[in-house]
Amino acid sequence: MQNPYMPSPVTIEQIDIENDLKDIKTFRLKFEREEDSRRFNYKPGQFAELSLFGFGESPIGIASSPTEEGYLLFSIKKTGTVTSELHNSEQGRKMGIRGPFGNSFPWDRMKGKNIVIVSGGFAFTTLRSAIIYMMDARNRGDYKNITAVYGARSPGEFLYKKELKKWQQSEDIDLTLTIDRQAEEEWDGSVGLVPSVLKDVSPSAENSIALVCGPPVMIHFTVPVLLELGFRKEDIILSLENRMKCGIGKCGRCNIGHKYVCVDGPVFTFSELEKLQTE
Amino acid sequence: MKTGILTKPEIQELFSSMITKNGEESRIFVPATIEGRVILEEFSPEREIFYDFANFLRPPKGIFFPQREVLCSFEQERAVEVPPAAGRIIIFGIRPCDARSFLFLDKIFSAGSSGFADPYYLGRRENSVIISLSCIEPSEGCFCTSLGGGPGDESGSDIVAFDLGDRLLFEAHSAKGENFIEENTTEFRQPDAADQNAKKESLQAAFNAISRISTDGLVEKLDDDFSDSFWEEITATCLGCGVCTYLCPTCHCFDITDEKDRDGTGTRVRTWDSCQYPLFTMHASGHNPRAEKKQRMRQRIMHKFSYTPRTTGDVFCVGCGRCVRKCPVNLDIREVIRKINGE
Repeated sequence: MQNPYMPSPVTIEQIDIENDLKDIKTFRLKFEREEDSRRFNYKPGQFAELSLFGFGESPIGIASSPTEEGYLLFSIKKTGTVTSELHNSEQGRKMGIRGPFGNSFPWDRMKGKNIVIVSGGFAFTTLRSAIIYMMDARNRGDYKNITAVYGARSPGEFLYKKELKKWQQSEDIDLTLTIDRQAEEEWDGSVGLVPSVLKDVSPSAENSIALVCGPPVMIHFTVPVLLELGFRKEDIILSLENRMKCGIGKCGRCNIGHKYVCVDGPVFTFSELEKLQTE
Repeated sequence: MKTGILTKPEIQELFSSMITKNGEESRIFVPATIEGRVILEEFSPEREIFYDFANFLRPPKGIFFPQREVLCSFEQERAVEVPPAAGRIIIFGIRPCDARSFLFLDKIFSAGSSGFADPYYLGRRENSVIISLSCIEPSEGCFCTSLGGGPGDESGSDIVAFDLGDRLLFEAHSAKGENFIEENTTEFRQPDAADQNAKKESLQAAFNAISRISTDGLVEKLDDDFSDSFWEEITATCLGCGVCTYLCPTCHCFDITDEKDRDGTGTRVRTWDSCQYPLFTMHASGHNPRAEKKQRMRQRIMHKFSYTPRTTGDVFCVGCGRCVRKCPVNLDIREVIRKINGE
């Protein structure tokens, strides 16, 4: 019997500071054992439990795409015990990983559709995974137009600046970056909050699915815009977070109603969430 | 159905011979008194089995799902697997309500519910024999018959034993139970009509003493969005101590934490946790989806009477009455259900 509580050993290969505030770092992890790497089959939208022994575990969305072979990426904000210790870590440190856990974005349903990506702040991580995955030459033909609106407080707070630059120059994706208000530094993107910029971009709802990840207030104002654009409730895809321990639907704390975020989610459609709304 | 009669001294002898049998070690748990309290205790030939009690203070779930257990150890930055202890477990003398709770816990810890099997729980559970003891004198607060159980209910038991005074009548209700009686067939005597009558009489008396509530259509009733004030009123006197969840035979929520020594070695441990504590759901960011007492009480009631019926098909309450008897402010789950019923 495979023990789902046993972490597989990984090494931190590389650490990149993502933002000006320096409280978000991306960790590149490599499996120590080839068989663990092979067994870790994941899809964009899933998460893993990262272990620092003596500190504990944290559930973190996977920021790399399965098309990026040989390593995993996790972008982590310094917040609690485990994530603070991770931020104090150096390259070469050994740690553990369990997963992949949870469902993923609805990849079967997304085939042949236009994909609209809406994100704000730090929640962009699993959407990076989704975009890299779709942009891969082996997969790009499976999706029609890819439109993305990504907002941050200021230019220095965007994650994955290198990739964003590449995507801005690509014809395979229509990316709009926006900052909350006019910055002192040079900025040639949009200015304004994500929901209003989304309204300006006005992506067609025809044969489209929207993936939305961001802070609760952004989601609160973004969903009505999408509905107004004609998106059906079941075509608005959201990803949730809750406190977790086991990641495998047993420990009892991440539920919303009778659904566990760790195994039934973290990805839900807006129509599913509406039914759980009283929770 | 295989049946058999043993006198109480014969049971003592039987278990003494079973601790090590055919090269196999068994841990046998029996009711015993220690310092005036009746507890489920590991049997040894010197330990006298105690029969004159209503139920144990603590539920038996800890035998398969210990209050604290090591999941793995670590040295420096490497995890080392700690397998659960092997060997057969025989539990004798738990009440039918508690035996029934194992069926519910099985669903949580097996792969069925989420696709992941829990090797620690299942490792112990799969090699166990459950011999429950029918109820003679139910306690105040017992309401098992309202939830599909009963003083002689066999669900979750491999064998149900009926206390007939100086002797016990054993009835096998599973292949494991039949094997148990078969293996020890020379010890058992066949029950006669007098034994069967004594069983019937004791069961009827117990049945009549058990309080009842209506749970008809409860799942549907809970679909209605009860107002905040409903839960607030119910929770007004709650101290948030969590004893209702710790003593509940079906509550299974747990925490996982690391304990580290200075030299970098340590263990990852699993401990019982409770939905009645605010930290249970608090995010690292400080946000808490169940920050208020009324939300946590709602979670407890909904988890048992609405969520698990949907996800596993079972109401996660066996009516053992521990939470009724031990709540420091007399918060009675039967009353909560009556209120939900509109009574």
